[in-house]
Amino acid sequence: MNESGIPTVSAPVDFAPKGRSPWRDARLRFQRNRAAVASVVVLMIIALACVFGPMLLPNAYDSVDWDLMSHPPTRANWHLFGTDELGRDLLVRTLIGGRVSLMVGALATLVSVSIGVVWGAVAGFAGGRVDSLMMRIVDMAYAVPYLLIAILVVTIFGRDILLVVAAIAAFSWLDMARVVRGQTLSIKSREYVEAARAIGVPTWRIIFQHVVPNLMGVVVIYTSILVPGVILTESVLSFLGLGVQEPMTSWGVLIHDGAAVMGASPWMILFPAGALSITLYCANFIGDGLRDALDPKER
Amino acid sequence: MWAYVLRRLLVTIPTVLAVVTICYLMLHATPGGPFDAELKVSDAVLANLQAKYHLDMPLWKQYLYYLNDLIHGDLGASFRYADWSVNDLVKRALPVSLAIGGTAMVIAIVLGVGIGIVAALRQNSAIDYIVMLFGNIGSVLPSFVLGPLLVLVFAITLPWLPSGGWDDFAPRYMILPIALLTLINVSTIGRIMRGSLIEVLSSNFIRTARAKGLPTRVVVMRHALRPALLPVVSVIGPLAISSITSAIVTESWFSIPGLGRLIVNGASDRDYTLVLGLVILVTVLAVFLNLIVDLAYAWLDPKIRY
Amino acid sequence: MNLRHMQSIARTFLTFALAAGALASACAATIPAGTVLSPRQEFVRNNGAEPESLDPALIESVNAAEIGRDLFEGLTSTDHHGTVVPGVAESWKQTDATTWVFKLRKTATWSNGQPVTADDFVYAWRRFLDPKTAAKIASTYAVYLVNGLDVVNGKKPVTDLGVRAIDKLTLEIRTPNPVPFLPGVVAVAQYSPVPRATIEKFGKDWTKPGNMVGNGAFVLKDWQVNSKVIVEKNPKYWDAANVALTRVTFLCVEDGNADLKLYQSGEEDMMEQLSPGAYTALKARYPSEMHNGPLLGLRFYALNNADPLLKDIRVRKALSMVIDREILSSKVTADGQVPLYGLAVKGLASIGQTRYDWADWPMDKRVAEARKLLAEAGVKPGTKLKFTYNNSDYHKKMAIFAASEWKTKLGLDTEMDSLEFKVLIRKRHDGDFQIARHGWVVTFNDATLFLALVQCGSEVNDDRSCNKKADELIAQGNLSTDPARREALLTQAAKLAMDDYPLIPLLQYSVPRLVKPWVGGYDDANGMDRYRSKDFWIVKH
Repeated sequence: MNESGIPTVSAPVDFAPKGRSPWRDARLRFQRNRAAVASVVVLMIIALACVFGPMLLPNAYDSVDWDLMSHPPTRANWHLFGTDELGRDLLVRTLIGGRVSLMVGALATLVSVSIGVVWGAVAGFAGGRVDSLMMRIVDMAYAVPYLLIAILVVTIFGRDILLVVAAIAAFSWLDMARVVRGQTLSIKSREYVEAARAIGVPTWRIIFQHVVPNLMGVVVIYTSILVPGVILTESVLSFLGLGVQEPMTSWGVLIHDGAAVMGASPWMILFPAGALSITLYCANFIGDGLRDALDPKER
Repeated sequence: MWAYVLRRLLVTIPTVLAVVTICYLMLHATPGGPFDAELKVSDAVLANLQAKYHLDMPLWKQYLYYLNDLIHGDLGASFRYADWSVNDLVKRALPVSLAIGGTAMVIAIVLGVGIGIVAALRQNSAIDYIVMLFGNIGSVLPSFVLGPLLVLVFAITLPWLPSGGWDDFAPRYMILPIALLTLINVSTIGRIMRGSLIEVLSSNFIRTARAKGLPTRVVVMRHALRPALLPVVSVIGPLAISSITSAIVTESWFSIPGLGRLIVNGASDRDYTLVLGLVILVTVLAVFLNLIVDLAYAWLDPKIRY
Repeated sequence: MNLRHMQSIARTFLTFALAAGALASACAATIPAGTVLSPRQEFVRNNGAEPESLDPALIESVNAAEIGRDLFEGLTSTDHHGTVVPGVAESWKQTDATTWVFKLRKTATWSNGQPVTADDFVYAWRRFLDPKTAAKIASTYAVYLVNGLDVVNGKKPVTDLGVRAIDKLTLEIRTPNPVPFLPGVVAVAQYSPVPRATIEKFGKDWTKPGNMVGNGAFVLKDWQVNSKVIVEKNPKYWDAANVALTRVTFLCVEDGNADLKLYQSGEEDMMEQLSPGAYTALKARYPSEMHNGPLLGLRFYALNNADPLLKDIRVRKALSMVIDREILSSKVTADGQVPLYGLAVKGLASIGQTRYDWADWPMDKRVAEARKLLAEAGVKPGTKLKFTYNNSDYHKKMAIFAASEWKTKLGLDTEMDSLEFKVLIRKRHDGDFQIARHGWVVTFNDATLFLALVQCGSEVNDDRSCNKKADELIAQGNLSTDPARREALLTQAAKLAMDDYPLIPLLQYSVPRLVKPWVGGYDDANGMDRYRSKDFWIVKH
């Protein structure tokens, strides 16, 4: 009992309602999006298959089966996806290719998004000459043919999968920067930013605490647009001899090879293209789901 | 605002200069020269070839020669297409690429915005998923799969259209390439439109408009669309540029004599003048388009001022 | 000069004179009797890459030369059987071992009506080999004319070139050493005559449609870069009466699949080449339209004889022995190519084919022997090989096959390096490779072009191999005027050179191609794969 006679308990009890973290809200919203959740599951299955599948299957990705060259799918010798023109098992090659494509896709996207968001946000927010300079640099980078950069990078630094990532990221960040800058221009003229500035919040804090979170929607969407582009660019580079080398492969390379014999051996394009399409559709749905979930205005 | 436009147009010149210099250095740093041939070339011939194209001079001198020609509007002589000047080649290829890429962009914008609106208004419903499923075909299948598929269906199985080729802007040769480019661009525009519109639809002023009792059509078209178009417009610039200047797969597959093929052949043959000429063209186009995009920002969001 | 010598010269002279005479009448579209021609004699064919130029002096690629031979005609020409036939020259004779005299026909005119004279040839050839014209391919063809190389290298003035006009219709050519196949050499597009007045008037633009003047069966109507080249019948051509086609369109599609689609949708009548792996399926689908025949070309792998690992002949031999060329040809490439175990290809003139003795052994025996050789040379399993090739699906397939052969049979690991074509040829020239993919196709039919691949110090010998005895035999063979003796010497030289295992011969090229059934004049046995449009006709369909 305290002085005024109101009973008190011996230990302090926290009656304040448990705070609802915005991340928890986002997660719940995401879970409500059935397509997105299904996509996450499918994507995880694909990723696990790519990582562990080749270890469990009897065929190696570069061993030649002389009796079953260019063969449609069959249960013989575990050639469930058929074989390619050199008698190599397509199932294992699709999974191994998945490793490369997923890794390149993830890494290159990560790098591109990071650079692009920072560049675009800074340019849009700073405005004036800084904006002008930064965006003119983007314009200039657009004009340079990426083929040339890729050839140069590979010749100077040798062939390395990380270089492929670097070469792809080198020109993929441009679009993201443009999109982010556009959004930033719009956001920076909104009331809450004006308010923050009025209070005296330092610029960098405004950018990272107020501008960037509001950009997330567009960034997430554009990222999921970036991913297929990155994977496909990798296939073009590999075809030109600048990416993965034989016998290692990637989905892009498999699809490219399969497209050439589409009429005669449709399975060669069906399975890798199918794997790629499913992965990308999942990425799209997840992207849309994330955007919906992270939207600060949704309640 | 006109001062802003003027400033941007003037900035084009140093931009082009910077790009040309960078590309110039990169081209000369790339291994393999334009005169590497399978059979050995005599030294005297090589010397003359290099003299013909000013390649025997020190790099900085060549550069100045090139700039001098540039000011006079002469993009130089091509190595790969020895009988033609770069001006000739660009003059012939540009209208082709503009016709195909430009038309595809216009159709993609109309369709993409439409799809995005429908999907946004029916968010998370079956219609949303279905519309997005179809809309995304272009981003999920690479162009070198979609192209053959289109040809297989519309040129071989149903012999309605030719499978490729070009005949002086005859429409039947343009339909499939435009369709391919459109499919690819529609998915990007559609998804951004959808996401952006969903965001805008949940903002306060839309809630107000709805509360006022305005029909959905008016709410969307008159109030929500403009701010929602902002990110879409951001993306149109780069998409238009790549559709016009780098539609390489489309042009190779359908045998279209456009800019994409010129640039690919130029890069692989180390045709310095051709590549530089095309780079300049792309830079000018990019600057121009981006200026239009930036002006569009101002129109769409009245708070943006230059 | 003794009697036997004179007899052999006379025999040579007679053979060629008779050949020239006989062929003079048979040099046009030999349409079989009773063929009903289509009223519309228009032909659309795919010609591969866009031509780099239509100026005969600047033509380098096979594609450009194909069009060039329709627009211009040289002293001689190659018909659709691959035989050398008279062109502007109606006859020729070899007056001594190194001198030839060509007699031009009176009826040969340019497309503007002016007569074609011997001076036109002199002007054209001097222009071609003049270093100021900067024709990259000049060195290759200069070797056949006296002072040719010196002129190209700038050491002598063009007027010293071994060609002169004796009178308006007679041309004398002198060669530095006996060149029995000279009529084949002067058939190439680069040795066409060119119109001096036109060139002086228009300069660089003389090859544009409307400006160009040529003496071929066709004139240039339209040229859309990266799209098509259209030529139409030249009414002033001396043999116009025998030219059936009125209009030919050359497309420039490089992608095999796009080519196939154009063929299937009826946009073209003749493909250029097939996508790798498509042959078997397409042959089954279009049995009467699929043509295939040997090409005078060799697919092989160049071996850097100076490389530390490949220096030892035993290693090179082992690498060559274990590759199963039968499977390569029947299963991997599967388009009618023939396995090769020697340098010369079938149909190549003046040389017999040679074959390694182990070619007929069962594979097990070959593998065992190869392993023994490697062990003797001290090469252990697990050693790395470096293989360089240019990025193309076709070469990729062959390379993967070779790598897998070397791995499974010899335990060697191959690192594959795919490069752009330009970079590949640079590396090959510079010797910056260990094993590299290579292909060799001739522009006229003679063994010396192939032997150049293995001659000491030859510019096209990327292997850096050298067998002095073989070189001597080649030199002797070239001096000989007796065709039979020449053939024997060259064959022996090839065998000697190949016994050093300088390179790994694999397959002889073939030309699988789809041609519409209404196209007449196509000959599968044409080992040169050169066609003049005047040899084609369209059957009523």
